[in-house]
Amino acid sequence: MGKKKRGHPDVEELLARPWCYYCERDFEDLKLLISHQKAKHFKCDRCGKRLNTAGGLSVHMNQVHKETLDKVENALPNRQGLEIEIFGMEGVPEEIVQQHNQRIVTNFYTAQAERHAATGNPPPGHSGGQGPAKKIKIETPDEIKRRLAEHRAKVAAQKAAAANGGAVGIPTDGQSPGQVVSPFPPPQPGFPYPAPAAGAPPFAAGQPFPPAFPAGPSPPPGAATAFNLPARPPSGAPPSALPQRPPYFYNGSGAPPPGFSGTSSTVDELVAGASRQGDDIDQLIRMAEAGIKPAKPAAPAEETGEKKSKKDKEKNTRMVYGDTEISPEEKLALLPSYKLVEV
Amino acid sequence: MAPSTQFEVSQPPTDVVGTVVFAPNSNKLLVPSWDKSVYLYEVGDSAEDAKLVNSYEYRAPILDACFGADDNEAFTAGLDREVTRIDLSTGEKTTLSKHSEPVRCVVYSPEHRLLISASWDGTLHIHNLAAPDQSPVTVALPGKPHAMAASPSKLVVAMTARLVHIYDLPSIATALSNSSSEAAAASIQPWQQRESSLKFLTRAVACMPNDAGYATSSIEGRVAVEWFEDTAESQARKYAFKCHRQTAPEEEGGGDIVYPVNALTFHPVYGTFASGGGDGTVALWDAEAKRRMRQYQKFPDSVAALGFSRDGKYLAICVCAGFETGMENYDGKGKTKLFLRELGETEAKGKGAK
Ligand SMILES: [Zn+2]
Ligand SMILES: [Zn+2]
Repeated sequence: MGKKKRGHPDVEELLARPWCYYCERDFEDLKLLISHQKAKHFKCDRCGKRLNTAGGLSVHMNQVHKETLDKVENALPNRQGLEIEIFGMEGVPEEIVQQHNQRIVTNFYTAQAERHAATGNPPPGHSGGQGPAKKIKIETPDEIKRRLAEHRAKVAAQKAAAANGGAVGIPTDGQSPGQVVSPFPPPQPGFPYPAPAAGAPPFAAGQPFPPAFPAGPSPPPGAATAFNLPARPPSGAPPSALPQRPPYFYNGSGAPPPGFSGTSSTVDELVAGASRQGDDIDQLIRMAEAGIKPAKPAAPAEETGEKKSKKDKEKNTRMVYGDTEISPEEKLALLPSYKLVEV
Repeated sequence: MAPSTQFEVSQPPTDVVGTVVFAPNSNKLLVPSWDKSVYLYEVGDSAEDAKLVNSYEYRAPILDACFGADDNEAFTAGLDREVTRIDLSTGEKTTLSKHSEPVRCVVYSPEHRLLISASWDGTLHIHNLAAPDQSPVTVALPGKPHAMAASPSKLVVAMTARLVHIYDLPSIATALSNSSSEAAAASIQPWQQRESSLKFLTRAVACMPNDAGYATSSIEGRVAVEWFEDTAESQARKYAFKCHRQTAPEEEGGGDIVYPVNALTFHPVYGTFASGGGDGTVALWDAEAKRRMRQYQKFPDSVAALGFSRDGKYLAICVCAGFETGMENYDGKGKTKLFLRELGETEAKGKGAK
């Protein structure tokens, strides 16, 4: 890529970087991306063999270990599906490419605006200002305190929402144990939902797995620092080091705000706006990076694909065996072929 | 890591199977069937080396079976309402008791030398095998039993109307040894009465080998795990999750197809558990970490029964024609298959809760 004039890559450079469909990480070159995918997403957990694609791993698991691969490992929650065949950058659905690019652009301009806001210089447009653009924003203690207070307020609000039974922005998919309300009509009139026993904790049985981590769309406390990530090091960094991502700032809209003005949006506003978004890809990435698994430990394979009409699907649930009182064995027992011959 | 292997066992039962159970001290495998026979297989040095060693004919379908004090003693639950003891070496059968309706389950507690049968007549028969002359004690249940399992100290009975009774086995043993049958029957009360954690009909119950709790499954693609200890803390740990579901094709309107979870069994060493469903899959779960560890290659039909060998090395998997609502035309004949999976060393080992 040659030596850069500025400490920050320009947006075209960012857009040109190969990136991984499964985890949105980007790489210096395609080779690194492919070896990343083999090691992180297509590696057999039984024998360590690295395959080229998820399909290849699935066949391998089937043939060698007689097991079913149900999802792509280490992938973002809505990218674990096996139905999409990915190799390097090949096979990424067009709308995902668009989403990715938009995100890069948004993050780029947000980061740029943030830098300018920090330096007090007006946004230079695309021509590239000569101001101290390399300078990374350093927050004053007051700013940090204010941001922390806002973050806490948000978390508290989300907790309150969760306590009220509101679904919180845990990125679950339809079949994860995230359903509290049965999609079925009650099996019989007045069939009661099991009331928690007296003194029982709010998490009654019959409910899903409790999330392993506090629910809420905002990043965990540890991840808050991600908002202030230092900029990507200049390309003079040792080539052996895995390329770092540029800082991800986001405003949640998925696109640069119209008439974007660098000075009108504080980081806190951006953060606040972003945290209102429940299922933002950046959010998922951040959770993944913080080692936080979305609360879907038992998400079965069939539900890993992209889906937009989750709610509609839930209504469509069909039980193969629906009798709530008589067991299949009792019905079998009534069949003529099993009738007891009294002697 | 040694690759695990899986083989289909030849000469499977010829009709529906509800139970596969390994012997306490060997790799003998007992499989009762609705074809009115009970089959005994033996696994040799590998899963490939499994063969039928004997089969025992009955006059009625056998719904359940368990081993007794040793590898040659077994008990069966018959559609003919009889609870039978069988000597597997000689084939000699003895009727232990007769219910007024078919017998759904039999469970043997080696710790207390108790054999418990559960019948659709809404009773348990408790046989004190330490005193063979004593007639069994009848305990009335508030509903029809659908599934039953024992841990070292507890007996869990899942019934209609989502009722679950937990009995304390040491207390039962004491009652049986100290009093007459009538007095014992009167004194045997459930240690705990619970409502099922699942909203639909219970299909299977399995107890944790460490005596701490149990898992239940229902016809509605769901499994619940809970603990015996009746403290708020223990009860707060219980959870349930969806499983054994499939996405319906869009042309059929999409949505989820929800299968019954027919089988549950805990790994005797690691305490993880396997579930088998009408979707033809078997999944391994880490009860502590609350995650699915593995899902095995889809089987050709509904998974009806699962059982680990006592050392945890083998998993027996029985598949049958699946049960569906409206079973007037059900025919399971010739569709039963028996598979044996040899597990890799750490295949069923959980990662723990951390
Ligand atoms: Zn990746
Ligand atoms: Zn492998």
